[in-house]
Amino acid sequence: MNRKVYLDHNASTPVHPEVVQAMLPYFSEHFGNPSSVHGFGREAREGLETAREQVAHFLRVGKEEIVFTSGGTESDNMAIKGVAMGRRRGHLITSKIEHHAVLRAVQNLETLGFEATYLDVDGDGLVDPEAVRRAVRPDTILISIMHANSEIGTIQPAREIGAIAREHGIPFHVDAVQTFGKTPIDLDAFNIDMLSFSGHKIYGPKGVAGLYIRKGTKMVSVQHGGEHERRRRAGTENVPGIVGLGRAVEVRGRDMAGEAVRLTTLRDRLWEGIRSRVPDVRLNGHPTRRLPGTCNICFRHVESESIVLGLDLKGIGVSAGSACTSGNVEPSYVLVAMGVPVEWSMGAVRHSLGGSTTAEDIDYVVESTAPLVAKLRSAMPARA
Amino acid sequence: MRNPDGVGEGEYRDCMDLVRFHLRVRDGQVVEARFQAYGCGPTIAAASAATEVATGCALKVLVELEAARVEAALGGLPEPRRHAADVAALGLRAAARDALSRVDTRSDRHA
Repeated sequence: MNRKVYLDHNASTPVHPEVVQAMLPYFSEHFGNPSSVHGFGREAREGLETAREQVAHFLRVGKEEIVFTSGGTESDNMAIKGVAMGRRRGHLITSKIEHHAVLRAVQNLETLGFEATYLDVDGDGLVDPEAVRRAVRPDTILISIMHANSEIGTIQPAREIGAIAREHGIPFHVDAVQTFGKTPIDLDAFNIDMLSFSGHKIYGPKGVAGLYIRKGTKMVSVQHGGEHERRRRAGTENVPGIVGLGRAVEVRGRDMAGEAVRLTTLRDRLWEGIRSRVPDVRLNGHPTRRLPGTCNICFRHVESESIVLGLDLKGIGVSAGSACTSGNVEPSYVLVAMGVPVEWSMGAVRHSLGGSTTAEDIDYVVESTAPLVAKLRSAMPARA
Repeated sequence: MRNPDGVGEGEYRDCMDLVRFHLRVRDGQVVEARFQAYGCGPTIAAASAATEVATGCALKVLVELEAARVEAALGGLPEPRRHAADVAALGLRAAARDALSRVDTRSDRHA
């Protein structure tokens, strides 16, 4: 029987058993609306506020600075549109490799009259802080740069960018969905004013996330309704989800450092294994300044989807760096921004490791990949 | 395949797909078909299915092969991946034409 190896933790993670246990009572026992004043409501409120404390403790911030949302996408939209709508006009700085939640939120603002600069990245996927400085204008209202990119895992120089933002008095938003709970983030040292984070990337449930908003950050609400979340985000809170997120964050505080060391070793074992067994491969992203569990590899002249499907037949879950839709192959915009040539970027495969990944899993993936790529290459016609 | 009786390619430049077929022909009928493919999973699958469609098929029928026949052999394709059947059918028709032209050339020589 095939093994099952899940190497797509940057897409989503299994919910930790401790998280499931913490959530269960909030579905049927403590089911009240946290805005209700009666005992049922107060029980739900207690779960909600405990989770807020858990997140605030982890980030070393005040609990009133944490707003819960429905996902990383909502957090990004809330931060970017919340600041922009409060100013009505102005200029935003972001990068070309942001998540679509940031890119499309900024593009949407452009249609409303805002202006934006999309910064280039270098061959390792790094934003140059000096480019941020050069992009700053007198009317710049927000700098939004992700902490780490989900495809390649390169960790941005957030501290240096934050210093520039602070120097110019510009709010600094960081989409930290891929790093939160995986690598340390010092919000004060990095001068971060807003930080997006999510539950399901850190062994919490899907459909729950949050935004840290530094006290004093000027922004308006983009979702209107009730008085929830200190009037920052209307809508009855997803109490079981938020309770799960709180517990997941607590578990990460305990496990994060050890897991980072373990995953870095396994990540490097994977790359070394592939590199020694498969010709014409390249590693995407920064060689060291990278998420512990992320390993994005290009297989030259092979289409990534064929590898993803082939590995799926072996019980291995990885993700493709390029997608073919409507007869057009679109190589990853992240790899394009990094200047990766198309004959390489078409064959990008992302492996993202996690808590359950073992050395045996990695060896199995290497052993499965080498003959698969050889077979795909042998079935490939030479181009005239 | 060594010394094939017909060779043809189908290309779909939009997504860089390339499929090549080699045919072995006896008495105007395909007895063996092999493929090489560069492309996404559906394109490789369509090329493979196309070789099964071709085997046992008369060249004169194969030159008229429609993509729908390849798609049916696959049990259908999602709308955004229909081009996989197109490129496979394109390549197979080209291979069939090539095989027919070689037969005609040989016939001319015999005449």
